[in-house]
Amino acid sequence: MQAPAPSAELAPQVMPAAGGRLGRWRKSHSLSGVALVLALLGLWEISARLGWADSSNWPPVTAVLAALAEGIASGELPRLLASTLMRAAAGYLIGCGCGVAAGLLLGTSRWAYYILKPLIEVFRPIPAPAIVPPLILFLGVDNVLKIFVVALACFFPVVLNTLAGVVGVDEVLLQTGRTFRAKRWRVLRDIILPASLPMIAAGMRTATGIALVVTVIAEMVAGSAGLGYYIVQMQYALRPEAMYAAVICLAATGYLVNRAVVMLEAWWIPWLGK
Amino acid sequence: MKSLRYFRLAFGMLAALAAGSLGAVPSRAELTTLRVSIIPINDVTPLFSAIKQGYFAEEGIAIDTSPSAGGATGIPGLVAGSFDIVYGNVVSMLLAAQQGIDIRVVAPGTKIATVENDTSAIVVRADSGIKSGKDLEGKTVGVNTRNNVIWLYARAWIKATGGDPDKVTYKEIPHPQMEDALRQKQIDAGYMVIPYVALATAKPDFKEIGHPYSEVQLGVDVGQYLTTSKFLAEKPELATKFVRALRRGIEWYNANRGKPELLEIVSGFTRIKVDLLKQIEMAPSPLAVDPPQIEKTMQLMIEHKLLRSPVEIKPLIAQQAL
Repeated sequence: MQAPAPSAELAPQVMPAAGGRLGRWRKSHSLSGVALVLALLGLWEISARLGWADSSNWPPVTAVLAALAEGIASGELPRLLASTLMRAAAGYLIGCGCGVAAGLLLGTSRWAYYILKPLIEVFRPIPAPAIVPPLILFLGVDNVLKIFVVALACFFPVVLNTLAGVVGVDEVLLQTGRTFRAKRWRVLRDIILPASLPMIAAGMRTATGIALVVTVIAEMVAGSAGLGYYIVQMQYALRPEAMYAAVICLAATGYLVNRAVVMLEAWWIPWLGK
Repeated sequence: MKSLRYFRLAFGMLAALAAGSLGAVPSRAELTTLRVSIIPINDVTPLFSAIKQGYFAEEGIAIDTSPSAGGATGIPGLVAGSFDIVYGNVVSMLLAAQQGIDIRVVAPGTKIATVENDTSAIVVRADSGIKSGKDLEGKTVGVNTRNNVIWLYARAWIKATGGDPDKVTYKEIPHPQMEDALRQKQIDAGYMVIPYVALATAKPDFKEIGHPYSEVQLGVDVGQYLTTSKFLAEKPELATKFVRALRRGIEWYNANRGKPELLEIVSGFTRIKVDLLKQIEMAPSPLAVDPPQIEKTMQLMIEHKLLRSPVEIKPLIAQQAL
């Protein structure tokens, strides 16, 4: 198979069941993934040292790592990262909350579905960076704007996944509920919500990645705070090594957040994917 | 030793907290805060000089600066009420005025008063053979933003040096990337500003072929501090105090250009390293806005179809700015 090494969570479906060889196969593949990253970093270093890139904004990776260490030691990068994560988390929670609520409403009320679904379909394809400049006129340039944009971007995957989850709830479960004469609210809480949780979780995981990306973009466009602005500022200050250090910081954070979400899911919804 | 330092730090923080809660530093609490949007470039150094020298505090003003790289959020933020005062360029100001946005010039910013002061330049590859606007026909010129001040003066310069500005392609390249774009031949010429122009032309690969601001319109008023007529009407005293403190900052800046103390200030808000700043020349800053120059820029904008019709300049300039 020529495909790239499958990530751990995809592995069970993609890989052939090869009995005892499976563990070894997986181990060697994850090692070759690390090797590829190291090889690329090595290529980065060499290309910068030998001037292959034909650019004055391509610092060697060692200089970037030094800038990263300096940024962390001075407390500047952790502080900026914290402010970015704070915005991302606020937007994410608001977006997911609204998304789940709207998804449940859409899935259980035909009226809501016919009225709101077209609206959602119209707004969904608008890329988040495109709405930042016009929104500045209404929301200013501070946290309200950034958190709103993040919440909006997180809302769509969650609402659509929740809707799909609600629509896909097993009819037998609903009929059982009816047999027991469960009230509408109870059906929603005890049958529909748990049954659609895997779909909701999938939507929320999509939203996690979106939240961080959109926060950084909003900070880049509307400026003055967080890692997004720092990246632009360092670019203008002719300090590309500090810029790449912030990018590495974001990449590591994105990876860790994703791992955390996977672990949370496994703990919260153990039946997911079974 | 280290623990002593931490102890001092912790103690200092505690003391500051206590002082803050007890109101032991009343002067700070009585200051009126003005939110000012800035572009982190040398043009706003007088503002930071005035902050550093305490001129604003003496007027009872605290300045809360909010940087916007490239300045895209300045005027929209002013409209939204996020800022009281915004540093912006003359073309953005006139475009906003034409669109009926409530905007007023409250203080002077940047002016190219002499040829020596014009540090911005059209830069080409040294081996390209391009010397004038005529040579640029059919070629590509890098500008930071289309339909704005750099673009306008690049076009005017091409016309002034015998070329047809409509036969040139303009490509948007952020200032820090201009040198790379030129080297990688994505563009044939770039209109570059300080500090990027100084660093590029210090290398043998590049050379300047023209200075659009001073060659097209010597004396051009490139940038100003802007506010709204609402702010001027509601808080005229505050506006006057702001401009008075800023003027003292301008005078201090003009007297201290190139000195280490000033370089520290510039490095503080641009985050450019001091060693690098030593290589660039800083032009003096004007003490007043020059309406006839704004008028000339407006005429140029009409000529290059940035404005549909003339804008009346006089009502746009606050008394304090003159």
